Formats: sequence, C-alpha cells, structure tokens
Amino acid sequence: MASNPMTQFNVHRIGPEIKIGTFDISFTNASLFMIISSVAILLIFNLGSKKNSLIPNKIQLLAELSYTFVSKMISDTAGLKAKPYFAFIFSLFMFVLFCNMFGMIPYTFTVTSHIIVTFVLAAFIFIGVTIIGFMKHGFGYLKLFVPSGVPAVLLPLIVVIEIISYLSRPISLSVRLFANMMAGHTMMKVFGGFVISLGIVGGWLPLSFSVALTGLEILVAFLQAYVFAILTCIYLNDALNLHH
Amino acid sequence: MPKDQFKTRLEIAKKRISEKNQDNKNDNPTSIGTAFKLSTELVAAVAVGTIIGFIFDKTFGTKPWFILIFFFVGVVAGITNVIRSAKNMQK
Repeated sequence: MASNPMTQFNVHRIGPEIKIGTFDISFTNASLFMIISSVAILLIFNLGSKKNSLIPNKIQLLAELSYTFVSKMISDTAGLKAKPYFAFIFSLFMFVLFCNMFGMIPYTFTVTSHIIVTFVLAAFIFIGVTIIGFMKHGFGYLKLFVPSGVPAVLLPLIVVIEIISYLSRPISLSVRLFANMMAGHTMMKVFGGFVISLGIVGGWLPLSFSVALTGLEILVAFLQAYVFAILTCIYLNDALNLHH
Repeated sequence: MPKDQFKTRLEIAKKRISEKNQDNKNDNPTSIGTAFKLSTELVAAVAVGTIIGFIFDKTFGTKPWFILIFFFVGVVAGITNVIRSAKNMQK
C-alpha cells in the first residue's frame, strides 16, 4: 500500500524503452490512458451515430446530448462565426472530460494532472487562435493590444500590460486544469490514508469525507473540462470578432 | 383527439421548462466556470511578467531591474485580467 499521496502521479514505462536521439518516447501509463480515453470517445460516438432512430437508445442519447451541449456552448460564447471550429472544440472538450473521468476510477492514472499535458493542449490552442486572428485580420489583429481611448503617454505601458495579459492565457488555462485535478486527487489519497491509519475506531469520519470528496471531484472533473472548452471559445471569439 | 392532447401536453411541458429556467438562472454552470477562471487569472499574469523580466535580465545582464519592473507590470496585468473577466460575468 503506497502511503505517499504523490506516488499516484508517477509516470512509468510500459513495455520496451524507445529512444529517438536523446528523446525518450517510450510507451507509458500516461500514453495508455490517453489512448483509452480516445478509444472510449470513438466507440461511444460510433455506436451512438450508427443507428439514427427517432427514439434514441442510451448511447445515442449520450452522443446527441453532448453534441448539442457543445454546439450551444459555442454559439452562446463565440457566435455563428465559430461554427467551423466546432470539431476541434468538441474533440478537445471530450478528450479532457474523458481523461478527467477515467482518472476518477480507482487505480487509474489521471493524464490531466500533469502540467505538461495540459500545457501542450493550451499552447496549441494559443498558437492556433493567434494564427486564426492574424489570418482573419492581418496585422490589424495587433489592435488587440492597443485599446481605444488611451492617452498617448500611457500607451507604451498599456501595450506591455496587454501583451502580458495575452501571453498569460495559455498559462492560466493549463495551470487551472492541472492544479484542480492534482489537488483533488491528492486530497482523496490523503483522506484515504487517514482511513487506514485511524482504523475501525476513528476511520469513519475521513471515510465519509472521502465519499463527499469523490462527488465533488466528479463535479470538478466535468467543470474543468467545461471551463477549458468555454475559454477556448472565448479566445476564439476574441480572434474572430475584434472589438477593442 | 390524441393530436390535440399531445399539443396541450407539449405546451404545458414547455411552460414548465421555461419557468424552471427562470428560477435557477443564477446557478447555471457558466457562472461556476467563470468563477474558477478568476482564481488563476491573476497568478498566471504575474508568472508571465516575472518570466519575461527574467529572460530580459539574462540576455542584457541587468540582474534585478527588469525582473522587478516586469513583476509589477505583471501584477497590473493580472488585476486588469480579473477586472475584465468580472465585468464579462456581469453582462
């Protein structure tokens, strides 16, 4: 029984070591759980869209509900112009959601509790949104950094502040998801450890706590996936409709 | 008439849904989501400002100065971010 609450985040190799140059690209438990969640998403949506009956069965209902949920989220936050990016945001949302949810099953590995995973996702969003912005507006996109109605004396300072606040987007996006997932899973492990060490006499209180925490963590797992997707929509909206 | 019956039932159900929506307008998932957004917004801008200052210091060899300036600029940027997203929440 591992007593250290952080050992659940250890990445270890599965199978042989593969190296390209100095890069270690071996198959790890993190890659395994990414593949599991991707396969689960593919399975659900394949089965859900196979037979389009008017009265849906449970899997079709699940697929249709998540489709309308994301579609409504995009049209609410980014408007009709963002419709072409539906596929990207939908897969992003589903991937983060499934990684979070698979992490809630005991003895599994939570991929999103590693900052490098969330940061890569956020960095791709950031780069993609910046490219979209420049493609739509050309160099006019730089107007995002120059708010209107600012006195010329203050302009250099404001531009620096705006640039920092723009660059902070991927960091706040990735840190939020990673910190929430890691903190929650560590808490659950700590309370689980209390149950063992206090035994049958005093273990009931931490046990009830971990039951409540599990519920909270499932909420957080969903909510963080939702926040991740909705912030992507908001950033996309900034890039598509320049209004500064 | 089953069709008429269905229509009235549908109308009643629709009315009930719209009433329910008005009741819990304030606790839809969007508001919890934006509340989560605020917490990291401030920290991220400060971190980015400090990192930029650190890189400038390293390239120009002006040890504490850029990191000091950009730390405070980062704080300002963070506060601007928080105010901006709080304003968006009120809309």
